[in-house]
Amino acid sequence: MLKSKTFLKKTRAGGVMKIVREHYLRDDIGCGAPGCAACSGAHEGAVLESQPLDPPSSLCPQPHYLLPDTNVLLHQIDVLEDPAIRNVIVLQTVMQEVRNRSAPVYKRIRDVTNNQEKHFYTFTNEHHRETYVEQKQGENSNDRNDRAIRVAAKWYNEHLKKMSAENQLQVVFITNDRKNKEKAIEEGIPAFTCEEYVKSLTANPELIDRLACLSEEGNEIESGKVIFSEHLPLSKLQQGIKSGTYLQGTYRASRENYLEATVWVHGDAEENKEIILQGLKNLNRAIHEDIVAVELLPKNQWVAPSSVVLHDEGQNEDDVEKEEERELIIRAAVSEKMLKPTGRVVGIIKRNWRPYCGMLSKSDIKESRRHLFTPADRRIPRIRIETRQASALEGRRIIVAIDGWPRNSRYPNGHFVRNLGEVGDKETETEVLLLEHDVPHQPFSQAVLSFLPKMPWSITDMDMKNREDLRHLCVCSVDPPGCTDIDDALHCRELENGNLEVGVHIADVSHFIRPGNALDQESARRGTTVYLCEKRIDMVPELLSSNLCSLRCNVDRLAFSCIWEMNHNAEILKTKFTKSVINSKASLTYAEAQMRIDSATMNDDITISLRGLNKLAKILKKRRIEKGALTLSSPEVRFHMDSETHDPIDLQTKELRETNSMVEEFMLLANISVAKKIHEEFSEHALLRKHPAPPPSNYEILVKAAKSKNLEIKTDTAKSLADSLDRADSPTFPYLNTLLRILATRCMMQAVYFCSGMDNDFHHYGLASPIYTHFTSPIRRYADIIVHRLLAVAIGADCTYPELTDKHKLADICKNLNFRHKMAQYAQRASVAFHTQLFFKSKGIVSEDAYILFVKKNAIVVLIPKYGLEGTVFFEEKDKPKPRLIYDDEKPSLKIENTVFHIFDKVKVKIMLDSSNLQHQKIRMSLVEPWIPGISVPSDTSNTDINEPDKKKKKLEK
Amino acid sequence: MASVSLSEAEKVYIVHGVQEDLRVDGRGCEDYRGVEVETDVVSNTSGSARVRLGHTDILVGVKAEMGTPKLEKPNEGYLEFFVDCSANATPEFEGRGGDDLGTEIANTLYRIFHNKSSVDLEALCISPREHCWVLYVDVLLLECGGNLFDAISIAVKAALFNTRIPRVRVLEDEEGSKDIELSDDPYDSIRLSVEHVPCIVTLCKIGCRHVVDATLQEEACSLASLLVAVTSKGVVTCVRKVGKGSLDPESIFEMMETSKRVGKVLHASLQSVLHKEESLGPRRPKIGFLG
Repeated sequence: MLKSKTFLKKTRAGGVMKIVREHYLRDDIGCGAPGCAACSGAHEGAVLESQPLDPPSSLCPQPHYLLPDTNVLLHQIDVLEDPAIRNVIVLQTVMQEVRNRSAPVYKRIRDVTNNQEKHFYTFTNEHHRETYVEQKQGENSNDRNDRAIRVAAKWYNEHLKKMSAENQLQVVFITNDRKNKEKAIEEGIPAFTCEEYVKSLTANPELIDRLACLSEEGNEIESGKVIFSEHLPLSKLQQGIKSGTYLQGTYRASRENYLEATVWVHGDAEENKEIILQGLKNLNRAIHEDIVAVELLPKNQWVAPSSVVLHDEGQNEDDVEKEEERELIIRAAVSEKMLKPTGRVVGIIKRNWRPYCGMLSKSDIKESRRHLFTPADRRIPRIRIETRQASALEGRRIIVAIDGWPRNSRYPNGHFVRNLGEVGDKETETEVLLLEHDVPHQPFSQAVLSFLPKMPWSITDMDMKNREDLRHLCVCSVDPPGCTDIDDALHCRELENGNLEVGVHIADVSHFIRPGNALDQESARRGTTVYLCEKRIDMVPELLSSNLCSLRCNVDRLAFSCIWEMNHNAEILKTKFTKSVINSKASLTYAEAQMRIDSATMNDDITISLRGLNKLAKILKKRRIEKGALTLSSPEVRFHMDSETHDPIDLQTKELRETNSMVEEFMLLANISVAKKIHEEFSEHALLRKHPAPPPSNYEILVKAAKSKNLEIKTDTAKSLADSLDRADSPTFPYLNTLLRILATRCMMQAVYFCSGMDNDFHHYGLASPIYTHFTSPIRRYADIIVHRLLAVAIGADCTYPELTDKHKLADICKNLNFRHKMAQYAQRASVAFHTQLFFKSKGIVSEDAYILFVKKNAIVVLIPKYGLEGTVFFEEKDKPKPRLIYDDEKPSLKIENTVFHIFDKVKVKIMLDSSNLQHQKIRMSLVEPWIPGISVPSDTSNTDINEPDKKKKKLEK
Repeated sequence: MASVSLSEAEKVYIVHGVQEDLRVDGRGCEDYRGVEVETDVVSNTSGSARVRLGHTDILVGVKAEMGTPKLEKPNEGYLEFFVDCSANATPEFEGRGGDDLGTEIANTLYRIFHNKSSVDLEALCISPREHCWVLYVDVLLLECGGNLFDAISIAVKAALFNTRIPRVRVLEDEEGSKDIELSDDPYDSIRLSVEHVPCIVTLCKIGCRHVVDATLQEEACSLASLLVAVTSKGVVTCVRKVGKGSLDPESIFEMMETSKRVGKVLHASLQSVLHKEESLGPRRPKIGFLG
């Protein structure tokens, strides 16, 4: 049957359009219940269970299906996702509304309906002849949808009665809308609110915790005092933004200071790009990553970013006065020029809430069901949740979702979602840091795996098309020990004309991952392999990463080769790119390769090849450094793991051998050669990597720091920076140079991928190369796969596809890759930090020498070279008299009582694990030397109350 | 103009018949042919109507769009007419063949609506000087069977009667910037009063008498005719003479009297039909072009 649906729409230009759509009604849509005679054959495979054995509900004891309305789905998706809730009918009306209102929830409900265990059935009521309703006169679309849902619920109940009378199957309508519920009951539909229903599930009391607390009545916080000003409605915000009174931007909370945040204003406005917000009231309930509208304050209220480190430790309730006191602290007098545009949040344009990992801070009151939840991410405020299982959740990592933030509450309200596991447990902690950094780490789906080659795999004649056979060459790979995803191999041989032939062979991953399929999409989504201390989150399935693509020795492998003819001066005479087949003769570690080069007794092909490579690499490196490439330093550590418990037993800074830089040098060369080639071929859509030169202001701290040691650092060009860093040496202080290099690293910008057609600055600052890309690690980076595809097309070895030459698509890919790389880096750092904690937990308390890296207003940041560990020493502690602190910004120094700390000063600190806050177990450092009374701690005895329990525990363990 | 060619004998037959108040199809001089009216036939318009008068077949669609008021009338909306002569009607309309006729009819429509009383144009204003509704009245000529103007004017009136304009509200904030809000109930609309919308009554001078609603054959026998736009109250809003022949003042006066008389009856029956149709509600079976 044909109907037409008419609705009015506002066009972007401001006009009004009448749109008419054809709407077909059918009578062959099944109800989803198996064994239903009325609609037998109408559906293939019933989705619902014929005898729903749901957890018994005291409200409706007979078997029943649930039928939730839109708001229940939107707000209580966490409950619906619980395995205890099954046999749910999701109406099309509901689905459509959810889709319009929240894309994430829509995706989640789609996932649930696809899960066969859950028995969720989507009923297309809008196209069913008997359940379609037309909008009535004087009825708005919301009312119409509510009516449509009720009509469908009613139809279901009547339909099921027809099916079998003795079965007494029912459909229970779940709505939180009081009026809707009343109307439903009037019409004879069994209806409950979500809360009523969940509470009636006596077998699953834990579900109650997962209910989102939304009801305005009853759940208000006792103190009715309004803390925050009201958020303006969206329409007003939009008008304000249009007229320029408000600015729209992304809200970024400060990690260090919970009373401070910055807003990055969208658009190209030159001035007021970054707006500072200070104080609880000005932050006005915005949460990290939200899109907010801010109003600039008058200039006389502008503030400077405080350099105070402040953490929200206020136990439990709403001591707002105290808060205000603290706000005053951070507004210390500052010079005029430091003042930055300051504003306040007037409204939220889009919330970007996600479920947060963290821990429960149990309320002091015993019977209390309300507890505060402290997220692992410091930028997220604490969340108040209601739970009955507080004691069970104590000391566990949990996930909590925010439901809302009323005006009179100091903290947002939320609800419990999932229990991850014991805090401190390696599995749990890894899960937490993966979740927090948005690293996709689920096992690969069947759809993805279906695109893997069938085993046993061998090279066929088809594969040999457009491919050169290089199996005769003496190729070898050099990698860190334990590496299973070998993506590069090298060879070097003398040609008859006396020149050298050098080849870099990269795993031909793009041969296995064809554009557009599920495997490709998944790899593109993951973007990069993430290396954690004891775990690797692969970008491509293991079969490829550790087997078929890994260039292991003595097996035939497909490769993408870049072969140069060079003279002995390492000047490139000829470059050739080709797809190839290689057979690596040896997989060496850096140490093994080094040994071969160094030992005079070995003279086999591999060793000769390595020596040739090494010699060329040295020349290449020298030339590169002459051009102004930077050698920077960052303290990198490796853990020695206990082979059984996988606990770290020792820390070691990474050692650098000649062979490391040998491999690196040829990889750089290959990347640059490929970058030139693909840019030449595809000037508009080559995927390149650039490293922008940092703005001069970034170097301020480095220059100041060097000045304090009477050294001069020039920062006008990369070359002068590199040179001045080389010169910056102090005979009395050998570690100074490394420290300066570490500081210089911090001044740098992020290197990013970009599409050549969308940008015109290609320069790679750090490598001093006019053009650069990533080609050499396709197993662990998606960018390299795209580069492989581009290069393959350029040399005619593979065919192109439309997306490859669409620069907007490419720009989107770059955006995702940059994000994933950043997140992977953060996750890696977090993993190192966690393992450092584990290490110090087992090691106990140690005192070590350290150097001051930064001086802050109330703290110093120190680096311990032995462990490559960085930490903050605070000088202000709660419950202790405040020491006299004088901070000098010009010459970064901090005077405490009578001792002055300068940047790079050598101090001695005591390192221990601070478990006083289970959530953020952290490495705590306290000053040992120089001795300042009342602040420093003695080096050997541990009289601080913090470690006492720790110590005891240790004794018990022994 | 679509026309038929008649032999001299046929013409004499028609003229003599009219003289005796007996027309070829049996009507008297002041009788209309049967009129079929159906409204709401095109769903994506704001209002539409189809009128069949003998063999004359007209479809009118009204589209309401937002526009800016004309400078000289800042607080009024306005109507725009466009007449499309489909080549379905006669092969002469093919290409640009129908343009002249279309423009002529459109101009006539402008003239009969160019007065304050026909349509309440102020009701079409949303915010003075900034926004108003513009009603685009599109006339499609599907078949010509004589008396085009009358049929078109009836169809326009019926379509305007059927027109529903979405109700909008103008929100104004402190800064004076205005935003237009649209109600999400599609039934929430305003309607135009068509009480004073005139209809055209065309009187054809045949011999020494005049007839209303002339067929194509009768038009071929007439040298001059008079278009009179009459409202339901019998007020004449516009008079126009067409054709190459001349009319003496006395007969013009006579013809106007006739048109007023006939016009009132025409309006009354049209009004009753429209109301009757509307009372059937949205569930009335639509006939459209299948009937």
